[in-house]
Amino acid sequence: MLARRTLGRIASQPKALGAAPTTARNMATLREIELRLKSVRNIEKITKSMKMIASTKMNKAQRAMQAGKEYGLANSELFQHAPAEEAGKRTLFIVVSSDKGLCGGIHSSVTKATRRAFAEKDKVAEDSPVMVIGDKSKAQLSRLLPKNLVMSFNQIGRDIPTFADAAGVADLILTSGVQYDKIAIVYNKFVSAISYEAAIIEVESEAMLKESPGFKAYEMEDDVTKDLSEFSLANAIYAALVEAHACEQSARRNAMDNASKNAGDMINRLTLQYNRGRQAAITNELVDIITGASAL
Amino acid sequence: LRLVTAAARRAPRNFALGRRGYAEAADKINLSLVLPHQAIFTSADVVQVNLAAATGDMGILANHAPTIEPLRPGVVEVIEAGNQSKKWFVSGGFATVHPNNKLTINAVEAAPLEAFSAEAVRANLQEALRVAAGNGPEEDKVEARIEADVYEALQHALAK
Repeated sequence: MLARRTLGRIASQPKALGAAPTTARNMATLREIELRLKSVRNIEKITKSMKMIASTKMNKAQRAMQAGKEYGLANSELFQHAPAEEAGKRTLFIVVSSDKGLCGGIHSSVTKATRRAFAEKDKVAEDSPVMVIGDKSKAQLSRLLPKNLVMSFNQIGRDIPTFADAAGVADLILTSGVQYDKIAIVYNKFVSAISYEAAIIEVESEAMLKESPGFKAYEMEDDVTKDLSEFSLANAIYAALVEAHACEQSARRNAMDNASKNAGDMINRLTLQYNRGRQAAITNELVDIITGASAL
Repeated sequence: LRLVTAAARRAPRNFALGRRGYAEAADKINLSLVLPHQAIFTSADVVQVNLAAATGDMGILANHAPTIEPLRPGVVEVIEAGNQSKKWFVSGGFATVHPNNKLTINAVEAAPLEAFSAEAVRANLQEALRVAAGNGPEEDKVEARIEADVYEALQHALAK
C-alpha cells in the first residue's frame, strides 16, 4: 500500500493541483474507515463476550428462579385464602430493578408499571411511598415521582439474590417506620428467554391480615400475625428479586446478541465500503498514470 | 394439650382409618415444602407430616383444620403413601394448613438428617456457647445464643 501511495504521488506531480487532493481525500477517507472498522470489531468482541457471560448467568438464574417461584407461590397461598376486606389506598411500592445497565428495557419496564399503578387514582393514594431496589430505576423514579421516593437499596442483584438479601431489605423496610395499608412489589416477570413483562405481587400488611375474615378461620396458639406478615414480606421480596434477576440476565443476553449482530452488519458494510474505496483509489492512480503516460 | 385437641379433631378420621382401603386417595394432604433455593415438595400428596412447631410437636393429617404454626429448629418428617418416611432438619419458618386441604411450609433452610456430621455440630456448638458467654457486643451474643439453640436441637435430632 505504501508503494502504491508513493507511485500515485509521483505520477500526479506533473498534473495540476487538483489531482493530489483527490488521492489525499481518498486516503483520508480510507484511514477513517479503517479506524472505524477496527473500533467496531473491538466492540463486537466485547458484546459477544458479554453475551456469553449473560448466557451462563441466565441459565443459573433460571434454575434459581424455579425454586424461588415455588417458594413465592407457597407464600402467597395464604393471601389467596385471606383476601383483604377493603383495601386501604396508601400502598407501599417496592420497585425491583438493578444497578447495572446494558440490559434492554428492564428498568424502564418497572418504572412504567409503577407510573401506570399511580395513575389509577381510585386504588392508590397520591402520597403512597415508593422504595426502589437498584440505582437505575431510582434515577428514573426520582424524576417521575420525586416526592414519593422514600428509600433506595443498591448492591443487590450482582449475583443470584439470596434469602439473606431479601430478609435484609424487609428488615430495613419494617424498621423504617413508613406507614402503609398494603404493599405492592413491582418486578419483571419471566415469560420466556426472550421476553418478560412487568408484574405486581401484593402483600398484605399485618393490620390487613388481622381484619380479613378469611384469616380468622386460621387457628393460632399465640398471636403470630406480626411474625407471619414480616416473614411473608421477606418471602415475597425474595421471589420477586430472584425472578427479576433472571429477567435481567436474559434481557442482557438478548441486548448483547442484538448488539453483536448489529456490529457484525456494520463490519460487513464498512468492509465493503473500505474495499470499494481502496479499489477506487487504485483505479484513480492507474488512470493518472495511464493518462500521464499517454500524454508523454 | 395441643396433641390431644389435635387428636380429638382428627377422631372421626381415625375411625375411618380402620376401614381404609379404597378411600386411600382421599386421605392425603397436599404438601408444598419449599426453601428459597430448593423446592423439596411441590403440591405432593402425602399421608402425614410431623412438625416441630414452636408450641410443641404436632402431626398433620388430611383435612386438618386451618392452622398457622411457626416452626422451631427441629425435625420435619414426611410420611408418604406406602409408609415411606423422610426426615429433614429445618432451621425455622412457618407451616400453614389451608382450608382446601393444602399444607404449605416455608422454611429458610432444611437438609436431610444424613447430611449432618455430629462432630461438626459438636464443635460449632462449643464455639457458639463460647461466644454467647464471652465479652463481645450484645448483638453477637444474642446471635450466638440463637446459634447454640439450633445446634442443640440438631444434636437432639441426630441422637434420636
